[in-house]
Amino acid sequence: MGTILELQGVSMSFGGLKAVDSLSFDVRENEIVSIIGPNGSGKTTTFNVISGLYEPDSGDILLKGESVAGLRPDQVHDKGISRTFQSLRLFSNMSVLDNVLVGMHSVTDAGLIASMLRLPKVRREEAAMRVKAREILEMFPGRFSGPRQQQPAFSLSYANRRRLEIARALASEPALLLLDEPVAGMNPMESREVMEQIKVLRDKGYTILMIEHDMHVVEGVSDRVIAMDHGVKIAEGTYTEVANDPQVVEAYLGKRAAEATA
Amino acid sequence: MRLSEVTERVSGAAARVPRSVYAVGGLVIAIIFPLLNMAGWVETAWLRVGVISLLFVMLSLGLNIVMGETGLLNLGYIAFFAFGAYTTALLSSPKFELRWPFLVVVVLSALIAMVAGFVIGLPTLRLRGDYLAIVTLAFGEIVRLTITNLQDFTNGPNGITGIYSPRLVGEGALESLGSTGPAAWLVIDKPVEYYYLVLACVAVTAVLISNLKNSRIGRAWNALREDELAAVSAGITASRAKLLSVVLSAGIAGFAGSLFAYYSNVISPESFLFMQSVIVVCMVVLGGMGSIPGVILGAIVLQALPQVIRQAAGAARSEFEVYRMLIFGIIIVVMVIFRPEGLLPDTLWRREAHEVDPREQEKTRQSLFDLEEGEKDLEV
Ligand SMILES: Nc1ncnc2c1ncn2[C@@H]1O[C@H](COP(=O)(O)OP(=O)(O)O)[C@@H](O)[C@H]1O
Ligand SMILES: [Mg+2]
Repeated sequence: MGTILELQGVSMSFGGLKAVDSLSFDVRENEIVSIIGPNGSGKTTTFNVISGLYEPDSGDILLKGESVAGLRPDQVHDKGISRTFQSLRLFSNMSVLDNVLVGMHSVTDAGLIASMLRLPKVRREEAAMRVKAREILEMFPGRFSGPRQQQPAFSLSYANRRRLEIARALASEPALLLLDEPVAGMNPMESREVMEQIKVLRDKGYTILMIEHDMHVVEGVSDRVIAMDHGVKIAEGTYTEVANDPQVVEAYLGKRAAEATA
Repeated sequence: MRLSEVTERVSGAAARVPRSVYAVGGLVIAIIFPLLNMAGWVETAWLRVGVISLLFVMLSLGLNIVMGETGLLNLGYIAFFAFGAYTTALLSSPKFELRWPFLVVVVLSALIAMVAGFVIGLPTLRLRGDYLAIVTLAFGEIVRLTITNLQDFTNGPNGITGIYSPRLVGEGALESLGSTGPAAWLVIDKPVEYYYLVLACVAVTAVLISNLKNSRIGRAWNALREDELAAVSAGITASRAKLLSVVLSAGIAGFAGSLFAYYSNVISPESFLFMQSVIVVCMVVLGGMGSIPGVILGAIVLQALPQVIRQAAGAARSEFEVYRMLIFGIIIVVMVIFRPEGLLPDTLWRREAHEVDPREQEKTRQSLFDLEEGEKDLEV
């Protein structure tokens, strides 16, 4: 199995704060890797650096061996990295279907003149996009059926909005999918459902790097787990290894509790 | 019944009529209109009002691309109209003794305006809101002042006179076919001819833009307007998409400017005042940002309605001029308060204006019945 993503000593600071500190890890093909860590430990910042929203101060980010550090977000997306956001960022007035269609922007190519004239090839492309978008939405059975595809994204429930963000990210069939807390705010039943869907995505061949707080989900889906604290990677391994790592317990529960459990 | 309820009912009824009915109906009325003049029922002055209204329809369609689709304010839009008009005036008037073929001139006028759009668009890509408003306003004024002061090229405040009428087929083209000179019908110089020429241009522009709105490019513009960070993360190149919308809208204004120069025979800087930019913005806002039928209606209402009122006012005409801008202001204020989405709103902007749309809510309730148990999670 080849390496999809490789971070080599990536650092990113805001003013004096080192949000990510010489972070190195890799994600191999068809793997689900979870990043855990207390709030403010630099997980989202890591995603922002990978997806091109921030340029790392130092270090390199390789996608299938090719550096993507310092590229613009749309360029990173073109290379094959799609993401969701911890704080939902849908195109809320646009329809459910259109949200997914926007996700296909970079893998379609109707140009200005062709679109204005609505040439046959543009019509074909649009029709194919819609078929594809419906297929993706049907990965979430019953959630985006029929009339709901035409409704504005804001009218969806919180859980469905999270699902729609995943659908939008999947629309370009990315080589790597970044999910930032995909089950945040969901009830246990909904979380379990999303967990199953993430496994289905792996079965379909997707490679996933996920930030998650819900330990049931992390345990349920992760091939490997990376723990971060204060921007530093403090542990890496299987769920059991990481969950029992003294440094991880300390980061979550504080030093005294860690000693007590030891 | 409150005013907002009335407008809600009217628009509810209006929304049930398919958009294609409006398009065909509007086009039929526009085509029939000059026939009334030919029949002697309508004065030729009204035909002139029609031509100018159509030119403003085209300007509104163009400005709507940046304002309504991409969400970028432009308070200097009339400058692109000026670029088109002056390009035409220079290439088809006694000023430099040029009379280039109509099609070449129109295309060049649009291209020059597009270059101007690129030049102003590129450095302002990152700006939004107030800053963009100030920069575009300044751009419009700089263009107008430059035109006023470039005496050698533009004759300054006196303007360029004697712009030749468009010839759809250039001189000589017919000789080669064995004819002795350009046939009269190939020269456009009567109001009714201009009217149909501009109408055809407007209709084609509206169709092309409407196709674009419902394309991958239109969706990219909307996505950028809704959430730029999410849009770029979803693979949209913001600078490219925005620049495309700015340049395209400039091109449409340049095209309209070219037709305007041909039609009016004479152009001068006073046709390109800041107030004209504001008026086009008002047309887009009144009709409904992002809505093609809306901005067409907005342009016609704000351009033709004052003329109708002026006519009706009769003796009080000169006084009416004084109140014209005041009436504009009142209309816009009333609109923004009671119907911010415009007369014939676009779906996205209607949702934007009302966090929860009453009609959407109704549809949602309906669709809930179609969905299975445990699925009633729509937050409305
Ligand atoms: N844009 C920013 N500007 C300044 N500080 C930031 C910014 N983004 C994140 N931070 C800081 O960096 C640290 C890591 O944040 P973040 O990556 O969001 O943590 P996590 O996702 O692990 O909860 C926090 O202390 C946060 O306040
Ligand atoms: Mg976070």
